Amino acid sequence: MTTDPTPLRERVINWLAILAILLAGVVWPPVFGATPGEARAGTLYLCTMPCGAPTEALRQTTQIHAQVTGDVARVHVTQTFENPSDDWVEGLYAFPLSAGAAVDELEMLVGERRIRGEIKRKQEARAAYEQAKSEGRRASLVDQERPNMFTTSVANIAPHSSITVQIAYLDVIPFRDGRYSLSLPLSITPRYTPGGGRDEGAVAAAATPEHVEAAVQNAQIEIDLEPGFPLQQVNSVNHAVLMDMTGTGRRVNLRSPTVPADRDFELVWTPSVAPDTYASAFAERVGNDTYVLVSLMPPQMAAERTYKREVVFIIDTSGSMSGSSIEQARAALRLGVERLQPGDTFNIIRFSNDATSLFPTSQPAVGINRQSAMDFIDRLVADGGTEMRSALELAFSIPPTLDALRQIVFVTDGSVGNEAELVKLISARIGGARLFTVGIGGAPNAYFMREAAAAGRGSFTFIPQIDQVNERMSDVFRKLENPALVDLQLHWPAGAVATLASRLPSDVYAGDPLTVVAKLSSLPQGMITLNGRSGGGAWTRQLPLRIVNDRSGVAKLWARERIAALARQKNLGGDATEAENQIVTLALEHHLVSDYTSLVAVDDTPVRPVGTDARKEQVPVSAPRGTPWATTGFASTATPAPLLLLIGLAALGIALVLVLPARMRARA
Amino acid sequence: MNTRVVVAVGLGAIGVACVTAACWIHLKAFAAQVLINAAWDRTQQGVVEARPWPWADTTPVARMTFRDWKTLVVLEGSSGRNLAFAPSHDAASVLPGEPGNSVISAHRDTHFRELEQARIGDRIRVEWPDGQRFLFSVTDVSVVDSRANRIALDGDEPTLTLVTCYPFDAISPGGPLRFVVTAHFIAGAGYTPPRRVARAAAFPRPVPLTGFL
Repeated sequence: MTTDPTPLRERVINWLAILAILLAGVVWPPVFGATPGEARAGTLYLCTMPCGAPTEALRQTTQIHAQVTGDVARVHVTQTFENPSDDWVEGLYAFPLSAGAAVDELEMLVGERRIRGEIKRKQEARAAYEQAKSEGRRASLVDQERPNMFTTSVANIAPHSSITVQIAYLDVIPFRDGRYSLSLPLSITPRYTPGGGRDEGAVAAAATPEHVEAAVQNAQIEIDLEPGFPLQQVNSVNHAVLMDMTGTGRRVNLRSPTVPADRDFELVWTPSVAPDTYASAFAERVGNDTYVLVSLMPPQMAAERTYKREVVFIIDTSGSMSGSSIEQARAALRLGVERLQPGDTFNIIRFSNDATSLFPTSQPAVGINRQSAMDFIDRLVADGGTEMRSALELAFSIPPTLDALRQIVFVTDGSVGNEAELVKLISARIGGARLFTVGIGGAPNAYFMREAAAAGRGSFTFIPQIDQVNERMSDVFRKLENPALVDLQLHWPAGAVATLASRLPSDVYAGDPLTVVAKLSSLPQGMITLNGRSGGGAWTRQLPLRIVNDRSGVAKLWARERIAALARQKNLGGDATEAENQIVTLALEHHLVSDYTSLVAVDDTPVRPVGTDARKEQVPVSAPRGTPWATTGFASTATPAPLLLLIGLAALGIALVLVLPARMRARA
Repeated sequence: MNTRVVVAVGLGAIGVACVTAACWIHLKAFAAQVLINAAWDRTQQGVVEARPWPWADTTPVARMTFRDWKTLVVLEGSSGRNLAFAPSHDAASVLPGEPGNSVISAHRDTHFRELEQARIGDRIRVEWPDGQRFLFSVTDVSVVDSRANRIALDGDEPTLTLVTCYPFDAISPGGPLRFVVTAHFIAGAGYTPPRRVARAAAFPRPVPLTGFL
């Protein structure tokens, strides 16, 4: 390395540097130039401040394979952690999975060997992992941080080698609004947890380990679709895909294996013959127990509406909504106001750090009020925090319109960390009202959307892209305008004693599927009967129970549903210890990852020599598209120089005009 | 003392201040480029920690030559302060030459004044600090409304997007229109697509836009 030569030109530059003293600045990090010989092309190095020796970042790639059979998906997620550095590294990766994922399998691939993970209580799994880590053995651990967010830790990745971890989960694909939709979340919207010590629920108490960056992550996705019926249409909503016919099904691959993982992958398919009412019941035998999955698509009936409605729209204008999300939300809201019927009343609440409402009390949906609403919507800007609580409290505190059914339409991306607290609030104060959630953006928090809608006895809808606002909002309005089935009851064949995973909802909305998972103590003979009222009349449906032996997974789905229901009860103020014990028992029995259980895989043989240290690194996960993290806005690229010059010259000119006549007067 | 004279002196002072401020903006833009370019050259000669001025805290990401322009060094992060010194690379986008869209912005009345003359087919040379060179060709020139558009960052091909304000001779800053020049990668010396790698925490992103100095 040479020293700094100072020829004449250099002296001129130094002089210029002195001129630049007024320029602001601090330090110039020698990111390159320091070790040009070692720095390889196109590789970015980690550089900690103050800048020491550059180290290359741990790389992580994800491969997802989903086998869809009927309405159950078996998904394998393969994560490879590649360590390009000269040090031993421990990798940490936080990633999203679908809100209902029942994670039951972990395998660590070391060379040709596959090491199966075991399910353990969270602390025991962590202890086993830490012990293996300190003894220099390879180990991996899968924890659930939130209902839809997981972390993988991988210990002792050798220099210039990699460790592959395979996770498998089971998911139900509901038939909603006339279509099946498989969603594979690939990015995490950074969560906003309000300050002020309001974190109450267990969900909120979990760490927030997400480390989110612009779309730098790549994912490979392959889906084997066996729908079990002739397909009318198969669409990938957010990504370009390649499709091959495989008998009655399809094999779907991402067109480019290097598509950035900045939005959820969503595959939608529709049957060529849409049944009027779709219902099925499948059973799985495990030992002496029978697990039953009942799916029901309620009838599409347009009943005459006999009640008045009061619609309260709540719109999230927090910073995470900025970009295309707020535009989608505005479009959805405009449509919502347009669709109001004469005789309805409405109000709009916007919130970020604070919450404000358009009117003090809900107003009739007449011309002048609609116009104020449109003006209000046009002025919405996304900025600031996500204080959902104050918005909900404001909605609940607005005096209700007399004799009207209050419907709260909550438009948000749900990027909050205090989900449990909010769901609890909704559950406690919803009263006779209904709450509908509309999830906006590339990666809404699906868990929150579902739980909030369930607590608010309403329904949920997602709008992934701006061009789907019309279609998806129509689904919302259909639901708002009439529930399809009310006072629903389910009767098992005589003699069967059923434990439902979660409570039967009392209202089922048009387009919403009803999925019931139950555990029966015996193998029942006969039909399952569903009763309810629809469009003012009685509605009954009978289903034969089909035993499907190769349809494994119903038991796991039951356990998953049961765990979710127990967690919900606990979050709503039930007995926490009792719920925890039940969850642990269920999760251990069914080999499931939960709030209290984790999967851990440990290699027997030590690989890291004693005495060498391991570094810890977290791999970033992609930020969703449409947020400021993944698209970019335009910088302000004009200086005020021309304006300043104009003002300056104008001021000088006027001064001159003022001064000149004064002198002339003095001479005279 | 005559009120008229007081007003005249006041106006005169304001006038001088404004004209000075305007000149200062141009002087700063010019001087910073000279200094940064010199520092870049010294870096190429193997000088360690070649800083354009002793307290500089910006990181050059690339050097760009457009037709017969003066060569411009691009800084990382399109903050108002960086834009005062040099064209700035949007830290959320890929580096120019990597697969994806690389976004570089500069002021219409300083560094990107000549962008007005961009025509389809024009060549843009980009050089990385490690010596890698990439050649881009202008494929689109358009004016967009920044209130209704955002720039997509993903893509399979290396793309370069140069952004400045429009119209070029407008008086007041802060207008909504942007002049956008899109260029596609055509060649690189021994080009192999650089691998996308996890970016270090040392480059904080998103970079907040700060006000103009």
